[in-house]
Amino acid sequence: MRTGDFKQTYGELVTLVDSPPVWLWSAVLVAGLIAAPFVLNSYALSFLMIILITVVGTLGLNILTGYTGLISLGHVGFLVTGAYAYAVLVSKYQMHPLVGFLGAGVVPALASLIVGAPSLRLKGLYLAITTLAFSFIINTVILEARWLTNGARGISVQRPEIFGFSFDSDAAFTYLCLGFAVLTLFATLNIRRSRAGRAFVAIRDNDTAARVMGINLHAYKLFAFVTSAFITGLAGALYGIYLSFVSVEGFPFLLSIEALAILIVGGLGSALGAVLGTILIVLLPEATRFVFSLFSAQIDAVFTTGAQELKSMLYGLVIILFLRFQPRGLVGAWHDIRRMWVNWPLRY
Amino acid sequence: MQYFMQLLISGLAIGAIYGLIAMGFAVIYKSTGLVNFAQGEMTMITAYIAWTISTTVSGNVVVVALGAILAAVVLGLIIERVVMRPMLGEPVFATVMVTIGLAVILRSSINFIWDAYPHGLDVGFGRSIVRVGPIGVRTGQIAVIVTLLVLLAAIWAFFRYSKIGVAMRAVAADDRTALLMGISATRVHALAWAASSVIAGIGGVFFALSYDLSPAMFQLGLKAFPATILGGLDAVLGSGVGGLLIGITENLAGGYLGSGMKEVAGFAMIIVVLMIRPFGIFGERDIERV
Repeated sequence: MRTGDFKQTYGELVTLVDSPPVWLWSAVLVAGLIAAPFVLNSYALSFLMIILITVVGTLGLNILTGYTGLISLGHVGFLVTGAYAYAVLVSKYQMHPLVGFLGAGVVPALASLIVGAPSLRLKGLYLAITTLAFSFIINTVILEARWLTNGARGISVQRPEIFGFSFDSDAAFTYLCLGFAVLTLFATLNIRRSRAGRAFVAIRDNDTAARVMGINLHAYKLFAFVTSAFITGLAGALYGIYLSFVSVEGFPFLLSIEALAILIVGGLGSALGAVLGTILIVLLPEATRFVFSLFSAQIDAVFTTGAQELKSMLYGLVIILFLRFQPRGLVGAWHDIRRMWVNWPLRY
Repeated sequence: MQYFMQLLISGLAIGAIYGLIAMGFAVIYKSTGLVNFAQGEMTMITAYIAWTISTTVSGNVVVVALGAILAAVVLGLIIERVVMRPMLGEPVFATVMVTIGLAVILRSSINFIWDAYPHGLDVGFGRSIVRVGPIGVRTGQIAVIVTLLVLLAAIWAFFRYSKIGVAMRAVAADDRTALLMGISATRVHALAWAASSVIAGIGGVFFALSYDLSPAMFQLGLKAFPATILGGLDAVLGSGVGGLLIGITENLAGGYLGSGMKEVAGFAMIIVVLMIRPFGIFGERDIERV
């Protein structure tokens, strides 16, 4: 009888997945996602695209807030910087889309060095407020730098064509997003199990102890900021392409809250949690609407007129309820279920 | 010079509103140790309730003022009891995130309870213009500055002399010892939420008097952030003064550097203050060396 999960070597502690069936199921999932564009209609496909793009962005925030424990309320700032970097490079200066994606990562990463610098002195709430301030300042900078960004008029973005392969159709663009999401997932999982990832978690758990054990707080905090901003910037570029139009209004402050809600709902500091949380949060407004529409058409009308407000209310409600009743998020719930399944009928 | 004076006076008036809301932040931070991200939204709801009273019950200044204060107390108490008290003892990150969730809910509820259009709060007072030499000042602007000064004095006296005020300072300084001395921490928290809601709500009503009510009013909370950071998160009086400084800075930046700068002057100041003096001008230094 299996009695528990024991790690016997250091190697087992840092493996990517600890049981072979996970590889099988992951492969099934990826195959399903590859088949999805042929099966789904365009409405469902748009949700799939949003989920994949959001997964990239959330994984980016997860490195900073989940692993390193630095709260950022201003990640929408990196998102909008990434989107503008791509739009300016590709639409305005006709560069290759791959250069655009590189720029979408590098420009926010440079910006994050400026925002990250105060984080070397500040912790917790103060850092959250600084990043919040940053996201408002960046919007003004973008609106004022009209020669580069067209100011309030925004920049329209075409779907890219890379090496002769056009990502113009919805199905092809979904594959592009899928590629980015899978790469980001592997990147964050690998960061987590490397020296840097362990340093991040050590800083989150107790920075004084981490310092004593020889972790360079300044270097690793800045590294967390740069990686996080790089990935978030990529998500911003993808989102800009999805919207086919990049403007400051397309990236409201609510996106920062949404990303934090996703992390809390999924389970802070877990890549699996970020994915699960994204799926729940993106589909939640639609699911709620479906449930209510079963009861009355009147409520359905409210959902159409006040869609944005209802969405934000749901986010707020979900944040509060999860923090109150399931602080470890969906991942925590999943672990509990798994343990119950393995140990049944015993409690532990 | 006249342009400068005009900017200065209107900066003082808007700064007094920021100061009131910033004091709301500080009262909650001082007694519960968390930043209430829903402060701007609470301010907005109090102002909307005041507007509802003025249009449905009576437009009398006294009735509207008393009604708004009562509504703010009830709002603060409900939020503390229903949302915040169950989170007692949880990590600061969790409780702060709860206030963010609350902020989002309150902000969107405006569109369902009231509507998305701007309204003017008219109580037959505050919009007429008084001339002081060459400069025109609205009575509402004078009233809000006077209110801020009176409240600053009253709160100073409250924390200095009243028994409850001393209890609140005790909980802020060391909540465990305060509990051992027989102070009910939950009661102090409830009082702090109610007081913060009232102080910020007064700011919101004055804003509605001088300008307009709209669902974008919650941004007052974001604008008041720099004030409370500048004054010190745990300094109630300092936050009030910080509000005046931020208001003046913002207006001067807007007047001389362009309207884009007006929006971000406060936030730019936050970053500078946090880099140089993270605990604010009047805040208590929290020394921790690594």
